[in-house]
Amino acid sequence: MRYRDKPELQDRLAAEYVLGTLRGPARARFRRWLQDDATLARRTEEWAARLGPLSESVRPVRPPARVWRAIEARIRAAAPTGAGLWNSLAFWRGLGLVASGAAAAMIVAMVTVGPGAPRPAPAPVVLRVPANEMPAAYLAVLSDPKTRKPMLIVSAMRTSNQLWVKTLDPSIYVPNKQLELWAVMPAGQPPKSLGMVGKGQKTMLPLHAKADRSLADVPMLAVSLEPMGGSPTGEPTGPVMYSGPCVKYW
Amino acid sequence: MAGAEDSLATLLAACGRRDRRAFTRLYQSSSAKLFGVALRILRREDWAEEVLQDCYVSIWNHAQDYHPGLSAPMTWMTSIVRNRCLDWLRKPRLEVSDSDGEMIDQAISDNPEPLAELERSKDAQALARCLQELEAKQRQAIALAFYDGLSHSELASHLRQPLGTVKTWVRRGLLRLKACLAGAV
Repeated sequence: MRYRDKPELQDRLAAEYVLGTLRGPARARFRRWLQDDATLARRTEEWAARLGPLSESVRPVRPPARVWRAIEARIRAAAPTGAGLWNSLAFWRGLGLVASGAAAAMIVAMVTVGPGAPRPAPAPVVLRVPANEMPAAYLAVLSDPKTRKPMLIVSAMRTSNQLWVKTLDPSIYVPNKQLELWAVMPAGQPPKSLGMVGKGQKTMLPLHAKADRSLADVPMLAVSLEPMGGSPTGEPTGPVMYSGPCVKYW
Repeated sequence: MAGAEDSLATLLAACGRRDRRAFTRLYQSSSAKLFGVALRILRREDWAEEVLQDCYVSIWNHAQDYHPGLSAPMTWMTSIVRNRCLDWLRKPRLEVSDSDGEMIDQAISDNPEPLAELERSKDAQALARCLQELEAKQRQAIALAFYDGLSHSELASHLRQPLGTVKTWVRRGLLRLKACLAGAV
């Protein structure tokens, strides 16, 4: 993309995004770039910090009580019903599993409050990787939250529908139980099973769609301990053993 | 101010743990400010109410993504509101034909220039000092864009200047502001 190797252009776009003069399709495009470009996200945050204090002088106006009533009603309606432990953010936080890499907060804030229009499909990507560089892939290192020791590596090439799981420590297997791998979805959505981790050092799990579709919005992967054959309910029933953020390498 | 920001950060963290009481307190202590920001940009109370509603639902849903090390709580929440307002203004049904800028001129003249009041936090003091170093036209263009949500073309018609000229004012103004703030640290 044209802007990537031009720090001055990046900085100007970030400034005008924060100021608000970047409008229309350019604004929408910029927001899409923000999701994949940590440098751009950082520049944008810096501008938000620079210009943010301007808001301090805006005269506060108490909103009418109906606004709060409407907010409360919407939040109550959206509360998870009986989804239990896995949907509890307190639970995830307790494990120290909140995936917010540099700038993630800003991106989430900016992206999710968008106008709700469907995002256009990503442009086709030409996969040409320099010699010796790893190809574009989704990666996750799953670790034990107590010891922080990495226990599994999960990877999938962007355009592949094969997910590879490598076990780093054979001690993870528990007799008469199986380890199930889950895609932990953004808040409010139930996790999706990706399959059972095999007993060998490497397991290949087929994805229902190419990684670029099935993993693009997955912030985190986790492994739970389940009865033989996997979770009987379609959602995790046992404790979360290992987890880690799912990131993009490209 | 630092104390107030600290407690907003604490409240946001509690919201991330689904603490509704904390969310109520967060709303109580921040909604007037955020409503003021939305009103100023949208200039219509019903729109601002709707935007505020969406934004607090979004703040609740994403409180766990708030990272105190990356931005001040008020900056984070204000960014959400400002973005939502600018998206709102983009909706085709709301595009008001205002070729001569009269409606905007009128709306803006009701709101006194807020830059003078910028002296609360330390950051705001540095920013106010640097804004004073800009040329008046650059300062005015940046303030109108930020506070009133004017686009380049709205700025051009409000300031009665060619589009290219106001774009340059904004761009140069931002560059100077950045340089000045870097020196002020």
